[in-house]
Amino acid sequence: MTNLSNLADLASQKFMSCKNYLYKNYGESPGKMLVHTGVLGWILSSAAQVFAIVINDKIPAKEKMFLIPQEFADAAINILSFYAVTNSFTSVGNKLVKSGKLLTPKLKKYVDEKQIQDIGKITTDISSGMTGDIRNEFMKFKGGVSIIFSTVGSILSCNIITPILRNQYAAKKQKEIMAMRNEKSRANEPVQVPKQIANEFVYKPLSMNDYQKMASLKFSGNNLKI
Amino acid sequence: MVSKITSYFKDSYLYKKFQAGSRIARQAFYDVIPNKVIENEKIRNGITWVNKEISTPENRLILGATALMSQPFIDWHNKSVDENTRKVSVCRTVAKIVAGTFTGYFIRKGCIKAIDKWSKLPTSVDKSGNKIKLTRLNTLFSPSNAMSDLSDAFMQYKNALGTIVALGVMTITNFLIDAPLTKYLTNKFVVASGGLKHDKSK
Repeated sequence: MTNLSNLADLASQKFMSCKNYLYKNYGESPGKMLVHTGVLGWILSSAAQVFAIVINDKIPAKEKMFLIPQEFADAAINILSFYAVTNSFTSVGNKLVKSGKLLTPKLKKYVDEKQIQDIGKITTDISSGMTGDIRNEFMKFKGGVSIIFSTVGSILSCNIITPILRNQYAAKKQKEIMAMRNEKSRANEPVQVPKQIANEFVYKPLSMNDYQKMASLKFSGNNLKI
Repeated sequence: MVSKITSYFKDSYLYKKFQAGSRIARQAFYDVIPNKVIENEKIRNGITWVNKEISTPENRLILGATALMSQPFIDWHNKSVDENTRKVSVCRTVAKIVAGTFTGYFIRKGCIKAIDKWSKLPTSVDKSGNKIKLTRLNTLFSPSNAMSDLSDAFMQYKNALGTIVALGVMTITNFLIDAPLTKYLTNKFVVASGGLKHDKSK
């Protein structure tokens, strides 16, 4: 009983330190929170996608050997491009405010009064030693700028860079798979194929499901972003 | 052991050179950007509004709306696949964005609201201005280092925790709602756009 009570206390302590950590780290950095939860979202949706393949009985083990690494590759593209682009944008936004490059008139007045040197240097932090109302003004302004930059970064990465990268990758994979399928069908059906059709990848009309499968190899059909 | 390796790596000549080079490059980038004081009050108020009002649900809405403006066009102009694949791909993209944005927005909002309900502080008051009686349940997610429930930091904390919980929920709803809804909408969109060429399956 004492052990159980100790365990409950320990869990409660850990939960509290987890909440305090979140408050301390994300309370004053909403931009950072958007980046981190965005990455977590990509990781979870990718993990769910891999898990779905692992537990799907209809997919033969041989195909799983191919599909699982492919899903990991997709996840890597999604996560890395999202993190690299969005995090860079957020950092630039934060740095512009912290180094004093982008200011409000009140913050400018504060910087002038305090005679802060090296405005615009990446090592400069105008917020060190700030207290009271001016700190509030700084935090609100920095938070807003950080959110705008991270949103622009995530639009660029999720809606432009990643789809283009993935389309290139998926089209290559799609061609490989279709070539493999055609090899198989050629081996199974020793029928003479007219020369002009033989150059095509598709020999017979495909069903809606086939098209959906083919499309699912592209970015748009990949793991649903959560 | 790990800290020893890290400090050895950080003290190395190569790492220091790399850091110095990276600092010079970053500084050169910032030097190009001119110093700016935002005099326009509307813009300043807009930035403050963004800080207060835009969080992950709104971010998801913005991403969804901009995705609708870009991704279908990227897919349609992907000439490395045939026309039918492109058509299904565009329909699936639109369906996925609609389904994902719909569930993403509402689940995030719902979870943040739930966290808000269960993160009360001694300073919390109800709609009529009366102090809220603190219970084990309504302080379940309250951090001990928060001073006021009115602070921006506390609001952002609730958004962060709500979003993390929402991400967990959405890992499941991704399969239960998004995937079937995406498939259903894709089929509808394909039919609405005139179907596929040579498709004998229908």
